[in-house]
Amino acid sequence: MDLLGGVLTAATVGFFAAAGTGAAHRTAGYAVALAASVLLFVASVGALAFGGAHGIAWVGPLGETESLALDGLSAFFTLAASIVWIATSAYSIYYDDQSSSLLSVFYGLTLGAIALLIACTSWVYFLVGWETMTLASYGMILQARGPSGRVFDAAFVFLAFGEASTLFVLVAVAGLRFASGSFLEAAVSSGGILPSVVFACALVGFGLKMGVAPFHMSEWLPIAHSSAPSNASAVLSSTLTLAGVYGLFRVLSVLSGPPIWWGAVTLGIGAVSVLLGALFASVSEHTKGLPAYSTIENNGLVLVALGIALIARADGLTDLMVFALFAAFYQALAHALAKTAVFLAAGYVEHSAHTFDLNSIRGRVKGSDPAGFAGTVAAVLSLAAAPPLAGFVSEWMILEALFQSYRFTPQATQFIGLVAGAAVALAAGLILVAMVKFLGFTLLWKPAPGDTARPTRGLGVPIAFVGAVVLGIGVGAPWVLRFVAPSVGAFLGTPVAAPVGGLLSVPNGWSILSGSPFGILSPPVIPLALAAGGAVAFGYYALGRRAGSRRVPTWMAGSPEGRPGETYSSFGYSTGIRIMMDSVLWTREIRTRSGDVTTAGIASPAVYNVELEVLDVFKLFYDRLVRFGDAVAFGLKRAVMPGRLGQYLVYVLFATLFVVIYVAAA
Amino acid sequence: MPSWLGQAARRGLLTSRYPVAPATPAETPESARPPRPSGNSGVPVAAVDACPVRALEPSGVDDGKCIRCSRCLAHGLGYSGPVEASAATRDALVSRGSAPPLPAAKRAPLADFGRSVHVFLVDVGSCNACNLEVLALANPFYDTTRLGIFFTNSPRHADVLLVVGVPTEEMRAPLLRAFEAIPSPKAVVAAGVCPISGGVFAGNAGVLGPLSDVLPVDVFIPGCPPTPVNLIDGLLRAAGRSRPRGGA
Amino acid sequence: MTAAPWTVADRDPSPWETGPVAAYGARDGTLTLYNDYASGRAILWPGPAAGRASELVALWNRRGNAGRLRPVGPSEPVEGYGVFTFPYGPISMGVPESGRFDVRTYGERILEITPTAGFKDRGILAALVGRSVPDATLAIERVAGHLSAAHVSAFLAACESAEGRDVPTTELWVRALAQELQRIYNHVHVIARIAEAASQNVGLAQTHALAEEVLRLQAALFGHRWMFGGLVDGAALRKLGPRERDAAAATLRRLADQFEELWTLFLDSRTFVDRIQATCVVDRETALRWGAVGPTLRASGVPWDDRLRQAVPPYTDLYLELPKESDGDALSRVVVRAEEVRASFLLLEQLLSRWKGEIGGREPAAPPAAPGRGLARVEAPSGDLVYDVTVRDGTIRHVGMRTPSHANWPAFAVGLKGGVFTDFHFAYESFGFSFAETDG
Repeated sequence: MDLLGGVLTAATVGFFAAAGTGAAHRTAGYAVALAASVLLFVASVGALAFGGAHGIAWVGPLGETESLALDGLSAFFTLAASIVWIATSAYSIYYDDQSSSLLSVFYGLTLGAIALLIACTSWVYFLVGWETMTLASYGMILQARGPSGRVFDAAFVFLAFGEASTLFVLVAVAGLRFASGSFLEAAVSSGGILPSVVFACALVGFGLKMGVAPFHMSEWLPIAHSSAPSNASAVLSSTLTLAGVYGLFRVLSVLSGPPIWWGAVTLGIGAVSVLLGALFASVSEHTKGLPAYSTIENNGLVLVALGIALIARADGLTDLMVFALFAAFYQALAHALAKTAVFLAAGYVEHSAHTFDLNSIRGRVKGSDPAGFAGTVAAVLSLAAAPPLAGFVSEWMILEALFQSYRFTPQATQFIGLVAGAAVALAAGLILVAMVKFLGFTLLWKPAPGDTARPTRGLGVPIAFVGAVVLGIGVGAPWVLRFVAPSVGAFLGTPVAAPVGGLLSVPNGWSILSGSPFGILSPPVIPLALAAGGAVAFGYYALGRRAGSRRVPTWMAGSPEGRPGETYSSFGYSTGIRIMMDSVLWTREIRTRSGDVTTAGIASPAVYNVELEVLDVFKLFYDRLVRFGDAVAFGLKRAVMPGRLGQYLVYVLFATLFVVIYVAAA
Repeated sequence: MPSWLGQAARRGLLTSRYPVAPATPAETPESARPPRPSGNSGVPVAAVDACPVRALEPSGVDDGKCIRCSRCLAHGLGYSGPVEASAATRDALVSRGSAPPLPAAKRAPLADFGRSVHVFLVDVGSCNACNLEVLALANPFYDTTRLGIFFTNSPRHADVLLVVGVPTEEMRAPLLRAFEAIPSPKAVVAAGVCPISGGVFAGNAGVLGPLSDVLPVDVFIPGCPPTPVNLIDGLLRAAGRSRPRGGA
Repeated sequence: MTAAPWTVADRDPSPWETGPVAAYGARDGTLTLYNDYASGRAILWPGPAAGRASELVALWNRRGNAGRLRPVGPSEPVEGYGVFTFPYGPISMGVPESGRFDVRTYGERILEITPTAGFKDRGILAALVGRSVPDATLAIERVAGHLSAAHVSAFLAACESAEGRDVPTTELWVRALAQELQRIYNHVHVIARIAEAASQNVGLAQTHALAEEVLRLQAALFGHRWMFGGLVDGAALRKLGPRERDAAAATLRRLADQFEELWTLFLDSRTFVDRIQATCVVDRETALRWGAVGPTLRASGVPWDDRLRQAVPPYTDLYLELPKESDGDALSRVVVRAEEVRASFLLLEQLLSRWKGEIGGREPAAPPAAPGRGLARVEAPSGDLVYDVTVRDGTIRHVGMRTPSHANWPAFAVGLKGGVFTDFHFAYESFGFSFAETDG
């Protein structure tokens, strides 16, 4: 155990201690979690800088030495998670005003479980952490304030998908144990079908947690339908899915020599997730449902980058593989951070405006907290891939990597790369609609006079903190890329230097190059250019002020401004997409009518009620599946346990017979 | 085989040379000019009595009231006034006998709009004829873009508020909103006798009275409705580029 | 005295859902006019409208609750998640006149549209009371300047009928000449507006130029581009001598050829046709249910034209083709208008070629609807225009009117439901509405 390892151990233990403290005093619990997060951050940065951390070690059931330790791969994920948790823990101190302290307890447990599963070197404790994480998160969702039936249903859906995920992960781990003869996370080099089975189970198991298609319902439904507490949503959507990403990366890092179809499947699933996530995000009207759909899109992007890397690895295109891996890591980091800020902002809006409905916020929180506002703008723009933020850099790298898919040898993968490229580009447009809508209808909308909510103090600072980090790792992308080179190296099992030469290079630290004849991006120059432009604009503005300026009401074609019910609704903003994409969204208009038609001012209660509904077709599938499962279970119950004494006596008889025969045989 | 290009080519150049050259007779029907007594005499009493809108006084003609009903033509008046009848003040619309109108009182020059003005049209109660005459400014015969006169769809982009119609109660608030929304410097042009004096609708229920009671008016363009040539004259005056020339 | 252009009913002809459709209803309920589309005849009922007809009459005669603003379409309130009102107007360059449209929508789609008129209410009809007929005519010309010929013709005919005055045949010919010129102008203007909305800029310029030439012809014949003051007997500026008539006939022949070519080009343009095809469909049932008139009605498959059904000289002696379409969409309305432009050119050619020398004689006025009360109908460019004038001792006592705009607003509001925002201009222009004549 070295010094950093000690810090890591203290941090991990600290999260569980936070859960215990939280039971006694919920604010103290969050404070302990905040301290532990800071420790974890220190350990992660140290591990990345000095090549690892080794914490407490013990002897496992098979006589192997298991430990809490960080290599380049796990250090990257604990780094991302610790930044998120610093913000969410600080935020929770002010946010959590529930009567019970259960939320605080489950919060600490979830964080501890995630830290454990990332930092431990054994698959056994990985599984322990995985299952603890699922159960603790289930507990957090149950603390939602919504209608209890809805909350329970949503939590149950989460648990069902979570347990299905555990099942697949369990099979994958069993496969790894079978192949390597060890529970340690060590490289496996066995041919045959086994690695493919492990990969498939890992993809399904971790995909369930990441919320990628076709399991994306596991992501949006618990968050959107239960109106789960916002600190919980941030942890769920940012770090729970990050744990899924970590699991997938870890499994892939120990499997060597992937066949080309792994990459193709990953790329395909990623592309579908990107498109579906963006599409549903753009038509969502829920301040937390919308970011939840965006999570699906972002995790899809991680899979797209990973898929390219896997294909390139199988195809021997080392430079492209490394570039795509950098993109995947960067995407995971950018998303985890930005999404945290957005969920915290959603909680902030909910706390002030008391609604999750984008249509009814109407700018009531506008201008109440400049720091939080700036942080939210940075995070939302990052998710919309606006330069120079982190999300922009990662999306640019992924698109650059997709452009290179023409170099793949098999034509089928070229085709998949082409389609995925189109999907990612289309999704980039759709997600822009979603993010503009989120920002516009929460924070930018001009509120009606007198309709402003009182802000909640202390919530803006953590949002601003995350926003600053998002801006920083966007602008400083060339340096951050060098910093995460050990992570890519740990994933590949061979050290990777940044600049790596070939496709990716970071010349003179100012730019990112995707191959010398291809794209070049200089994140630090963008803010300089923006600042220069801003200075010019401000100069004009200042001059204009001297010349005299006048504020007038918005021109509404001669009608008075902002009469109630006469402003564009958030729903209306994306109805165009609902109508255009009706074949995917299953858009339908439901029209009900009561009373008679009014004419000539004769009063009549006649009102048409019109609803334009969209449907996630996969939810329909799962609903059918559940109904089918219910029917089967009910039938079995009727057949096996009909409540007739005679049948039970027959069971007893057979059981006795079986025992007798077994004993006799032994 | 008909084609758009062929159509256009065969019709040749339609665009007027006004105001570089004087307006042609086709561009200036009788109604384009205000009536004036013939010779040097004053306005005959019979004509004063015949006028339904009291535009005629024994001393002269008030162009801001004349609706071109032609009743005075039987009493010694003729449509012989100037085509460039627009004025910067209400008083300047009143001619004294056959003598030229009094020189307009010294007045602060209009804002400098450079070489072009952007015009926002507001109809506050017109019969639609004025609207259509303004619309006609865009047709190939007049094509005011050649003169730097453009029509905008938003008051935010406008320099000139062009008002047609008699101001009604219901349009007062929208009109003031439009005026407020136009950035300074700006000019208000009253086109047609309706906004100048109320025309035939003066005194009706629901009618406010002259536009100058509601907004400061910078240019008055008489006529019922003013013809496109009258409008061009008035808009150029509003743009500070008035170059009066006698009509043909 | 000529035969009355209607039959007087001895009982209310249309209290139920079927049967004759209301064409005009006096505000005080003393008189209701019906169109019987089955027999092609008008029916006069000296009493208030009942049943379905009363709804229509109430809609046309509606007054504002507060102020002068009033919705002119049927309203079916729409609610729902995300549904809001999109106010458009009263000052919008898309609609050059002042009027407001309140669109209920959940975005993109028009769930309900309520046109609101009354912004330009100049109180004209009320102010006419007590004036002489010639003085009142000055105001009637300016109800809607671009429709002055139709309004003045209908108003004068109603006055003549009320007073039992016969009228020089020449005057009727002049009115017909003015009306057909104005019909050509208005229909061409509608096509220009739709070309503008469809960004057919070359077509717009050409059509615009054609409309300008019609105005110049009007100015040449009447001394005024909008023929104000030109339709009263003894108008000072009227120049309808043989030389002017020949020149006009030549000009009209040239314009007719130009129009033929333009219209062919428009029909060949996919962008133009696609944009108005299946836009704002008013089917036959809707058109009859909501009392639509004119090209709107004829585009929905109902042949009715006052020039044929209520014919007065010189229409009785001229050949007039009645265009008809059956789809009821904006394209059908525009096609009907284009066909009517052709028909009007043909009418004018007949009129001018038969107009040799002086037309002598006088025509008796139609019988009054009631003592001192004249009811006259004219086929204005956008449809049937009704004037109801009571005159006593040469002084106007009461004027009522129902313009084609009144009659077509409900069909527009009903037809546009389910359309998208961008359909609005094409739909609006295809009806040829005028807020000026709606407001009065």
